[in-house]
Amino acid sequence: MTSSPATVQAAGTEGRTSLRQFTRVLGAVILLFVIWRVTTVGLSEGYPASFWISQALNGLVLGGVYALVALGYTLVYGILFMINFAHGEVMMIGGITGYFALQFAQARGWMEGPWAVVVVALLLIMFIGMAASVLIGVTLERLAYRPLRQAPRLVPLISAIGASLFLQYSVLLIFGVSPHSYRKPALISGGLRLGDVFIPYTGAIIFVTSILLMLALYFIIQRTKLGRAMRAVAEDRSTASLMGVDVNAVIVVTFMLGSALAGAAGVMLGFHNTVVKFNSGFLPGLKAFTAAVLGGIGNIPGAMFGALLLGLIEAIGPSALGIPTEYKDVIAFSLLVLILIFRPTGLFGEVLSEKKA
Amino acid sequence: MSKKLTIFSLFLVAALMMAACAAPQPAAQAPAEEAPMEETAADMSGKVVIASGSMIRIGGSFALTGPIPDPGLNIRHGAELAIDDLNAMGGLEGFMFELVAEDGACDGTQGTNVGNKFAADETIVAVTGGTCSGETFGLVPILLEARIPFVSPSATNPDITSADCDVCNRVALSDALQGATDADFVVNDLGLTKVAVVHDNSDYGKGLAEIFQSGVMELGAKVSSFEGVQVGDTDFRAMLARVGADGPQAVFFGGYSTEAGLIAQQMTETPGLEDTAFMSVDGAYTQQYLEAAGDASEGTYISFVSGADSEEMNEEFDAKYMEKYGVSPDDLGPFHSQSYDSVKLIAAAIAAVASVDDNGNLVIDREELISAIRSVDAFEGLTGTIKCDSIGECGAGGVQIFQVSEGDFNQVSGFGME
Repeated sequence: MTSSPATVQAAGTEGRTSLRQFTRVLGAVILLFVIWRVTTVGLSEGYPASFWISQALNGLVLGGVYALVALGYTLVYGILFMINFAHGEVMMIGGITGYFALQFAQARGWMEGPWAVVVVALLLIMFIGMAASVLIGVTLERLAYRPLRQAPRLVPLISAIGASLFLQYSVLLIFGVSPHSYRKPALISGGLRLGDVFIPYTGAIIFVTSILLMLALYFIIQRTKLGRAMRAVAEDRSTASLMGVDVNAVIVVTFMLGSALAGAAGVMLGFHNTVVKFNSGFLPGLKAFTAAVLGGIGNIPGAMFGALLLGLIEAIGPSALGIPTEYKDVIAFSLLVLILIFRPTGLFGEVLSEKKA
Repeated sequence: MSKKLTIFSLFLVAALMMAACAAPQPAAQAPAEEAPMEETAADMSGKVVIASGSMIRIGGSFALTGPIPDPGLNIRHGAELAIDDLNAMGGLEGFMFELVAEDGACDGTQGTNVGNKFAADETIVAVTGGTCSGETFGLVPILLEARIPFVSPSATNPDITSADCDVCNRVALSDALQGATDADFVVNDLGLTKVAVVHDNSDYGKGLAEIFQSGVMELGAKVSSFEGVQVGDTDFRAMLARVGADGPQAVFFGGYSTEAGLIAQQMTETPGLEDTAFMSVDGAYTQQYLEAAGDASEGTYISFVSGADSEEMNEEFDAKYMEKYGVSPDDLGPFHSQSYDSVKLIAAAIAAVASVDDNGNLVIDREELISAIRSVDAFEGLTGTIKCDSIGECGAGGVQIFQVSEGDFNQVSGFGME
């Protein structure tokens, strides 16, 4: 529950109790301070309700993207107990590929066609982006992680960082340093206006699609034979293999699922924010990792919830606390530190990986 | 075990964050170790001796990666063309010029690295660059210590030049002028009384935003909010929602192309800002801005620190540029003329102090070169007649304000209009 094992053991049971009390008091003080700050700022700034609704919607869109990427971290962690730090780059590859698919579609005039054509083309673009991400994800697993499966756990982590840099700078060399701009087709530019609240179509699409993809993933994991195999491997790899589960195949499928979600996120984020470049997977990747840890890494509902929470806090936090919006990342990462102090296993705990080193 | 891993990962995240967001601070201590050696070298000779058959090497710090790679490349091209022209005219006393191009990445840390590289290379005579203000702040302390004069074609932060820095020069105009002109335009020409100011936290963007802010307030208008973002951000909706809640009549952004374009675009999706005017600055006077903003660029204002172009010389330059690089110079970025002039200016100063000794070596005294740049007077460049003052401001021309219409910049006010 609290602090590092060494301190706790040295201090004995008494120390443990007092430390626990200390963190509780500290937690209450921080919570009270935040509540006080939010109330006073809320009263003095007097933003209208529509403002808060707009910010919450921004946060949910952001959270939807984080969730799709966070699921990739969590799935891989749940099964291999490693952090795939190249996952943000897998998302970026999806975004870049989507850009070129969009260029292709635009050159053929599909984006100005009747709405059915545009929808099919958009789905196709997303599918191509997802396919590229899957390809990269599976290649990563085969080349960078599988040879290190028996190595100490830090080794694949370092390999992942190397892979991340390799992917970033390969894209830089191949596609150039300049950002690539997505041109939104008329069908999805603009948005809905409800009073003083504006919902961009791309934002709505991101949110709905991410929920649908998450439900699909949940279904695959809980209701299919493949999902059962994944859960078995997560629980105990060697026993699962004794029971006839092809562990390597399950791991590859896990990477495919995670990468496909990241690819979808990359393409949708491309349409939403309209710019992709070689390092545009880096910060979303970090945030998604934060979200996964926030919810309890290895835990699928935890990643979804953690991501939506992180998105909301990032969007609402600066205004609610009355500080400049440039500190949104500070708020996001402070939240992570606080959660880890008070709940080291994240909000939902590490369910998938009950049994590990 | 898992907790250890989590904690380790957190440290890693922190380290990566720091690496990614390394504040563009001038690392003043960095050259300290080399300093004594450099000093003795300077004491002994203080001269660059170029053996017969060797090149006169001019360093170049260009933002080839980072937020504005296209303008960075454009500036490099300008410098390369200047070197070509110098050599085509026979160089200097039979010695040819050579450009040593490095990537300053528009970033202070990288500027420091480039500065150290140049300082360690005794054959570097002078430096053109850096492209961005933050990058140039990284160069300043190192080049000052190494006694290598530099001329920046495009770093516009007012603090780049000062009475304390005798090696610091630029042919771009200071943002003190641009910020004040922009403020005057917004308040007096557009007649607005309530504006929001946003910047990208770069030395350049934030510096300019602050000058604009104080200019606007001096003219009696109200600044409804002053917000910062980060270079590389792509989602500004939360920030804009907050800016929009105060209902400003215009949003001013100090920063670079991509962020400016995305802000202009996302303003059209923000309640309260759909029809608000948008103005940005020379960092966004690029095709990249038009591309990133898309249709939202229509009607937005961009200011630029322009040279007093002589038509004839520029036509010749543009033709050479097209021939060598296959694109029109304006497609990549706005500062190619300044870059060309920067190199030519350095060459002119070198020509004024260099002499051939008895062994046929070209000898350039570093201190003499430093003061020779300052005494450049009536140098005819692409950006007009250049005259350097006592603190190293060599820029000619004035501030122009453009409005985007039909996907193109059209001048609406400022220098060269009357």
